[in-house]
Amino acid sequence: MKTNQTIQKIKNYSKIPVLALAILLTGCKKDDPDDDVPAEEHDHEMITDVDLIFTNDADPSDVVVVSAVDPDGEGVAELTIEDAINLDTGKTYTLTLEIWNDHDDHDDHDDHDDEGQHEEEDHDDHDEEGDHDDHDEDHGENIGEEIAEEADEHQVFFSFTNDAFSSPSGNGNIDNSSDAINYLDEDSNGYPLGLETSWTTSSVVSDGTFKVVLMHQPDVKTSSSGVNDGDADFELEFKLNIQ
Amino acid sequence: MRIALTLFMIFLKTLLWAYPDSCSYSISGKILDISTKEPIPYVSVMTRDGSRGTIANDQGEFFLDSLCSKSNTLFISCYGYCDSICEHHHQHGKVPHIYLTQKVIDVGEVTIKAPMNKKEGIESIAQTTIDKDEINSDPTQTLAGVVEDEQGVSLLSAGTNVQMPVIHGLYGNRILILNNGLKHGFQNWGKDHAPEIDIANANSITIVKGAAGVQFGPEALGGAIIVEPNPLYLKEPFYALVRTGYQTNGRGYNSGFECGQGKKHWSYFINGNYTKVGDRHAPNYSLTNSGKEEYSFGSGVHFRTEKLGVKAYYSLINQNLGLLRASYPHSSRAIRQAFEAEQPDSSYILPFSYAINEPNQLIQHHLAKGEVKWNYSNHGNFKLIMGKQLNSRKEYDVRRNSHKPIIDLDLITNDIQLEWKHPDVFELDGVIGVQYFYQDNDNNPGTGTTPFIPNYNIDRYSAFVVESKRLGNDMIEAGIRVDLEEDNVRGRETNQDLFRDEFSFSNITSSIGFVKNFSKANSFRMNLGNAWRTPNMAELFSFGQHGFKTTYGLLRHYFNDEEKIKTNRVIPFKESEVEAEKGWKYVNELRINTKRHGHTLSAYSHYILNYIYERPYAVIGTFRGPQPVFIIRQTDALFLGCDYDWKAEWSKRVDGTFGVSYLWSRNLSENEGLINQPPVTMSYKLNWEHKPKGKMTSSKIILKPFYRFEQFQAPRTLTPTQLIDGDEVITLNSEIFDFKAAPKGYFMFNIAWKFEWRLIQGQVAVNNLFNSSYRDYLNEMRYFADAPGRNFLFTLTYKFKNNKSKY
Repeated sequence: MKTNQTIQKIKNYSKIPVLALAILLTGCKKDDPDDDVPAEEHDHEMITDVDLIFTNDADPSDVVVVSAVDPDGEGVAELTIEDAINLDTGKTYTLTLEIWNDHDDHDDHDDHDDEGQHEEEDHDDHDEEGDHDDHDEDHGENIGEEIAEEADEHQVFFSFTNDAFSSPSGNGNIDNSSDAINYLDEDSNGYPLGLETSWTTSSVVSDGTFKVVLMHQPDVKTSSSGVNDGDADFELEFKLNIQ
Repeated sequence: MRIALTLFMIFLKTLLWAYPDSCSYSISGKILDISTKEPIPYVSVMTRDGSRGTIANDQGEFFLDSLCSKSNTLFISCYGYCDSICEHHHQHGKVPHIYLTQKVIDVGEVTIKAPMNKKEGIESIAQTTIDKDEINSDPTQTLAGVVEDEQGVSLLSAGTNVQMPVIHGLYGNRILILNNGLKHGFQNWGKDHAPEIDIANANSITIVKGAAGVQFGPEALGGAIIVEPNPLYLKEPFYALVRTGYQTNGRGYNSGFECGQGKKHWSYFINGNYTKVGDRHAPNYSLTNSGKEEYSFGSGVHFRTEKLGVKAYYSLINQNLGLLRASYPHSSRAIRQAFEAEQPDSSYILPFSYAINEPNQLIQHHLAKGEVKWNYSNHGNFKLIMGKQLNSRKEYDVRRNSHKPIIDLDLITNDIQLEWKHPDVFELDGVIGVQYFYQDNDNNPGTGTTPFIPNYNIDRYSAFVVESKRLGNDMIEAGIRVDLEEDNVRGRETNQDLFRDEFSFSNITSSIGFVKNFSKANSFRMNLGNAWRTPNMAELFSFGQHGFKTTYGLLRHYFNDEEKIKTNRVIPFKESEVEAEKGWKYVNELRINTKRHGHTLSAYSHYILNYIYERPYAVIGTFRGPQPVFIIRQTDALFLGCDYDWKAEWSKRVDGTFGVSYLWSRNLSENEGLINQPPVTMSYKLNWEHKPKGKMTSSKIILKPFYRFEQFQAPRTLTPTQLIDGDEVITLNSEIFDFKAAPKGYFMFNIAWKFEWRLIQGQVAVNNLFNSSYRDYLNEMRYFADAPGRNFLFTLTYKFKNNKSKY
């Protein structure tokens, strides 16, 4: 009888729970909580520091740096935008963006006023995914390098006081992604990235604004994608003065 | 935990004469224990009006004649007659009446299951049980979805895939979920973690609506949900069940099977289930990434000799749950749009797809359990339960490294329970038990982000006693329990520095209850119980962004002298003011049944010390733009409420149940309302049964309209824009607020047709018949999108039982 065979098969299957139970119950070894700590992770998501570095093309020693800093990362402290951008008239600058996660730096505990509260721990030699070369003397993780590696998923967009620059003219590509920005870098598809851009000043601007938005656009980035596609990695607005 | 298997099976043969209105009908039958199929002797059988009654003989057989009606309701009970002989089958008079209705006439053999005997110590608590047929009417829904229909129970959710039950305003780990006698060991924190239990494989679900901490331990503060698997009855011929279903909203499909057999000394079952649902849609747009895929497997064996019973179970569930894409807005524009616009940003609305992308959750839950019951005498037994659960959870977020899970946890739970049901002493029925409970939570490396919750180990030792005593028709019960818990925690701060903490809790839990049976139809039960709960690791240690929220746990934030919130250090538990939650719940239930009407009224008050809650606190500036911040707080809270239902038999074929539940709650320390409390709900359920026609042995139409009111007790609203613009500066003493106003009340109409044709059971149902656009206050997705629209559901079940086979 076929049914009987099926039933017999099912009966054999019914031994599974007994076996599973035997294995599971015997396999319950308690681990020692002291050794069982979460592995150290290098946070590649968090940004604590964005530097805008304007370098005069004619004179590499003429550098203007402004920063936005959120030293406690996901903590409750507010993001602070440190300086206004003060540029000179009639110059061409290359703007380089540096993006860092300094929170990952063990020596940087300035934001911890109660450091004595913490048990000092030896840091075990956990797998660090070979990311150590990302470290800089003064900084933690170089997120900018990662952005460059994933250039086809990212783009930086800008907006600024209308006609603050002679090139690019207009008010930037946040309101309209086809507006002019002088991108100096591009991804593997030939679309702009924006970690390096070129800016030429002419007339005086005071109390202007300069906004930088880094968008994460996996599978979304195209020649026409704009600031409303994907998710923002950062969104910063600086004061702009050109004298 | 003892599960009293005092269920009965009755075989009835009805002789009927075609003389309406004359008292010449008769009925005969045999009463068997459903588990062993042994006859139960000397049971009393009585018609509901009490006019005719008899006592079964030593073979469990009875005969009643001179009945005046073709259909009869019989009460079958063991009161007084067979106490000494039936000890095996019941405890003193505790066996509830068996409720036997209609249908008896036309079939030769009927199985009547008495309501499962209530567990010791909670008999005096209001509770309801949902049986397998009801569960199976929609096997794709979640556990919480099944229990939601009951009065006083609502549903807290993060979309359609992640739903958790709310009992009398409490949810999460204030409701203990007992899966197959074991506390379901899962990542029970946050609003986006639902219990991983496949209800399609459950045999019954019981909702206990009071503090049941004595029997079940901490966390049963607000109640318990008891999910029972296949009971593994002996002497059952081979049975098999195949089930399939389709739903239009989300184009979901489902199939499952179950089969098993009971021999004289052993039995087994196996079952499995598979479900896949794609993107659901709200009436006006698609809910992108709201699909799910789930499969599960369960099996069990049972061996039994006269004195010894051994059961072993293993079950597995595997889930891939999508979370609404629109609920993870990251840029400030998207956040403002989410909280303040009518519908999600168009970039989050894509055409229908079965694909499940980030954000999503991959969960696997294994449960293995062994149970040995030793009936060392007719009057007492020992029961040993050993359980092991492994819960592995990976959550993926929308982020730059989205291929890496942002949360990757393995949670191991071990449970050992030993219970002794002692022989009667001074006419006391009781159970004495000891338990050891152990959990080990580990973060798996490779998430590329700081662990959201730490690694931890919990050891808990408990002992309890519950005793009850029958006083005539009434019953009194009391219980006490002692718990001792030790916690060891290892986590990392965002700068990757390690932090460690060790702390312990101990508590005494007690309960006292009383059941008064005025008559066979009317009863009153009251229970005063306390229960407690230790703060969970997420409430203590959460830090940072998860989903659209940035949350700071109790030990991760504090207020400085200027009442400014600070998060720059982890507060050691001993230095903090954090304490375990302790609650006292007083619940009363009155049941009154007349010939055609039944009323159940339960009223409760619940006072909770150190009640832990999450509240919106601020919007902070971050690199991604302004982000909503939530903090975890503790306070004292009071809950008062009542549930009422009224069941009426309008005619022989039409009956209806009206239900309403109301809850008032207050934060006593701050003297303000509480957030996320269930609004008032009114419902009606109308059953209309048709006369059987030909091979259509049963056909029934069910109408279920309900109305959920707006939550008028919701906190005030401060939108992210108002907070960013600085309309109000939030400090420690600011009144609680919410980022979005409570949604308007809504009316819902569900309709279903259930039928039985030969061996096939089927259902055609329409939920949200009018395709209404609505948002539910307790659904976190209400911040972002409407709830799903109209849904047609089709279910077919084929049941086969080999009655010819010998066991």
